[in-house]
Amino acid sequence: MTEMPEESRVDSRITARLCEIVGEKNATDMKHIRYAYSYDLSFVKSKLPDYVVMPTSVEQVQEVMKFANQEKISVTPFTAGTNIGGLCIPENGGILLDMKRMNNIIRIDEESHYAIIEPGVSHAKFASALAKYNLRFSWPVGPPSASTSSCAISHGIGGLSARYGLNSEEITSMEVVLPTGELVRVGSCAIQEDAWHSCLPLPRMDGLFTGWLGTSGVITKLGLRVHPTPPILKVFTTSAQNIGHMASYLRTLGNYEICDDLTGVSWWLSQVPIPYPYKPKPSDAPEWISFATTFSWTEKEREAREEIWRMVMDEETKKGSSLKETEYPEEALRARTQLPSQIVGSTKNYTKQGGAGISWPGTFTPLNKWEPVYEGWKKILIERNLSPAVRVTNYRGVHYGMLRAMIPFPKKEPATIENARQDIVECLKIDLDNGGIPYKPPVDFGVEINKRAHPGYVELLKKTKQMLDPNDIMNTGKLAL
Amino acid sequence: MKWDIPSLEELEDAVWKCTACGNCKVAYDFGPPPTYGEICPAGVEYGFDGNMASKGKIAFARGILDGQLEWNQDFVDDIYKCTICGGCQNQCELDHKPVIPEIIEAMRRKAVEDGVGPMPTQKVIAQSMRSYNNPYQGPRRVRTDWTRPFKKAKTPIKNIMKKDAPILFFVGCTGAFNLPVRNFPVATASIFQKLGLDFGILGENEICCGSTAMRLGDVDEFKRVAETNMKTFKDLRDNHGVETIVTSCAGCFRAMKKDYSLSDEYEDHMGGLKIIHTMDFLFNYFKEGKMKFTKELPWKVTYHDPCHTGRHLIDYDVDEDGSKQWKGSYLGKNEDNCLYDIPREMIKAIPGIDFKEMERIRSNSYCCGGGGGVMTGYGDWAVKNAGLRVQEALDTGAEQMVSICPFCHFNLNEGSKRIKSKMKVYDLVELIDMVL
Ligand SMILES: Cc1cc2nc3c(=O)[nH]c(=O)nc-3n(C[C@H](O)[C@H](O)[C@H](O)COP(=O)(O)OP(=O)(O)OC[C@H]3O[C@@H](n4cnc5c(N)ncnc54)[C@H](O)[C@@H]3O)c2cc1C
Ligand code: SF4
Ligand code: SF4
Repeated sequence: MTEMPEESRVDSRITARLCEIVGEKNATDMKHIRYAYSYDLSFVKSKLPDYVVMPTSVEQVQEVMKFANQEKISVTPFTAGTNIGGLCIPENGGILLDMKRMNNIIRIDEESHYAIIEPGVSHAKFASALAKYNLRFSWPVGPPSASTSSCAISHGIGGLSARYGLNSEEITSMEVVLPTGELVRVGSCAIQEDAWHSCLPLPRMDGLFTGWLGTSGVITKLGLRVHPTPPILKVFTTSAQNIGHMASYLRTLGNYEICDDLTGVSWWLSQVPIPYPYKPKPSDAPEWISFATTFSWTEKEREAREEIWRMVMDEETKKGSSLKETEYPEEALRARTQLPSQIVGSTKNYTKQGGAGISWPGTFTPLNKWEPVYEGWKKILIERNLSPAVRVTNYRGVHYGMLRAMIPFPKKEPATIENARQDIVECLKIDLDNGGIPYKPPVDFGVEINKRAHPGYVELLKKTKQMLDPNDIMNTGKLAL
Repeated sequence: MKWDIPSLEELEDAVWKCTACGNCKVAYDFGPPPTYGEICPAGVEYGFDGNMASKGKIAFARGILDGQLEWNQDFVDDIYKCTICGGCQNQCELDHKPVIPEIIEAMRRKAVEDGVGPMPTQKVIAQSMRSYNNPYQGPRRVRTDWTRPFKKAKTPIKNIMKKDAPILFFVGCTGAFNLPVRNFPVATASIFQKLGLDFGILGENEICCGSTAMRLGDVDEFKRVAETNMKTFKDLRDNHGVETIVTSCAGCFRAMKKDYSLSDEYEDHMGGLKIIHTMDFLFNYFKEGKMKFTKELPWKVTYHDPCHTGRHLIDYDVDEDGSKQWKGSYLGKNEDNCLYDIPREMIKAIPGIDFKEMERIRSNSYCCGGGGGVMTGYGDWAVKNAGLRVQEALDTGAEQMVSICPFCHFNLNEGSKRIKSKMKVYDLVELIDMVL
């Protein structure tokens, strides 16, 4: 049984006004509709919104925000709710602002390689549109039906992150409705209405809306850099006996900046499904496997990349590394290189044995801290009978990257959810203490971040939030301030 | 007869496999090149996540099972706002995938059991089933009206109860009672006669297959007609030489093939009988060169895959314990039973036809909007949705739309009128009959 707060502050007067703004069919307070937005796959406790609203235009978003601000009703922006951090679960009830109906691809500029999209555009829709121009984006391994813009504003990452960095680094301009209802623009489109090519060299005001977990404004249009797709894919696959050797290899190879994606996975994550509960690794299996994805325009370019990769292998072997060239199961490679991927995005390989629940300590952690953090996580997780199903990925070079453990759990029982929550928060503390920072953090993570934060940081965060959202209506509570 | 029709409670474990990932909300295929399309008619029309795809329907099921959601008019309404097309099911990769339509129908069964379902307009169907043995309130004697031209031409169709034949043509209620599509049993019988087949019909003794009742959750009514039909089929097999039951109706076909097999006496009653859709049946004659298309049809045609002859017939293979590891560890999918290539091959073989494909085809076909009781329960929405599909067909440059389901046929025709298009919809048997 899931726990649910007692009903609810539904006020028919408010529903009626929301219906006036977006139309009868696009606003509701019916409980069964609200219920479908009350949970996600994470450990975050279910909570019901009081209203669900689906705007279809920027003007409607503005009207909803003005009204909500006047009435001091919380508003939680939502596109698909697949963030794995409970970020669309309305901590304080209020309006669930479902943006899926604003789903136009406004422009794909095939010369300047950027696109303008609305928040409801899914990876699937965007990918099929870009493919017509042989263009691509750094697709996450998440569900293809989820939103590209929400991925970008949440500092999401994808299959090109070793090369281009985070998807938020690809943002070129933004149109945003503020919590108080005003429409603003940041980046080049703020200066010339039709120019969506770059946030720079202006002050980085896009930072007011990226990584804020939907607490600072409602994105209504987003400019994003897109990239050409070279035809030749070559994936170098490697195994190592321990994280130390794997991390060293990823650092060395990362130095050459030849990969689109450079990722290592622990044996437990390489399994389909992730063993739940924990199952020991066979003693003859390597503990880490990696895939280094490269794309080249010509065979010669591919060969040059291969030459560099072989050099790195030699260099590491000379250091006494257990590194070996290895076979990576074909289907696994497909799942990780053919993005967006329904197979991986479905979460099946993660949750199959757990049952509907999945959460992670998902972090950005310096590469040279991967080893101690992983060893710490492994100890905690195995002690609690959970598999250390961990992924590491370089972001744009070698200074930091993703370190994340995928933890499946049965979502049906509050006790197993709570267990997972506690274990994950324990893992997170180790990472934070090693300088890592969690991404798309659930409130429990926010609390841990803020505990450790410089007082000036927290003050600035509060002041900025107060300036943008004086009545604290947007995704109330998510910053754990 | 005992039936293994699961209750919602019995499906609870399956319900708790859904991760709310939302994969089911769009039809996507990596390709290359990647393709994308809307897949859920309910989602397109109503939009909220609860209305959208299996993600939404399973949220409803979860809410019922965990005691959070209780019936009210709006909730029941939203449970019936679904064509049970299985478009969502085809996208899902989790282990409950094979039973997604069952979960939706189990909720409806619960609604009926609790006295709150189906919707008022759909109750008319249930009443009609009880009074007339068909969902169209059609008097028994009208069932054979379509055979009149054959009588007139002195080529009457055999009543199989009176004269034995190895082939039973099970006409289905839609072809018999729904005037705008009545040409399709005529065309089917005409083709059979041209091929010189020894076949018969049940005539006024035919009763509904029960598909509509099952889709609406009226399990008692389904069982009543299904049991009667199975007894009839047993009798036909044992005493009238019937070996094959052919049907042109996708709904009847699915019901006899899948729904009837939930009975513990299926083998006893239906064992040895070949249940086959007309297209599959005719394809054998076509392949063997016994059915030759001699006339020309200079048409620009596209083909609409009905859900019932398509993805509803996919067999899914679940690696229950994950022991198969990577290879085949995702859900295996066997589309061998789906009628995808057969109609296309036959259409393309008709001299003069310029065949065009729509974007959403085969397992990702976009439902016409008429199934799952939607045509009766929500006629306006059904037709509106059909208009969207017709528009997709128009976008290919096609002028005729062909399908192999009388429901799709009727609804798409209405959709075409609704968007004021010139698109004409045909059943493939009509085309074949024209060129034989
Ligand atoms: C199996 C699995 C794997 C995944 N792998 C990855 C991965 O590799 N990389 C990755 O980046 N992500 C990954 N994700 C997370 C997620 O799927 C993607 O980031 C996705 O693109 C987010 O889109 P969404 O529509 O689900 O966003 P939502 O969850 O709906 O929203 C995300 C956040 O943005 C806010 N928001 C939504 N719309 C707006 C708006 N218009 N204005 C302001 N704020 C808004 C929400 O309030 C929320 O805080 C994965 C998820 C799953 C289930
Ligand atoms: S039904 Fe399947 S695809 Fe849809 S949300 Fe649930 S798990 Fe995902
Ligand atoms: S069965 Fe069809 S109409 Fe029903 S939820 Fe699934 S895709 Fe939508």
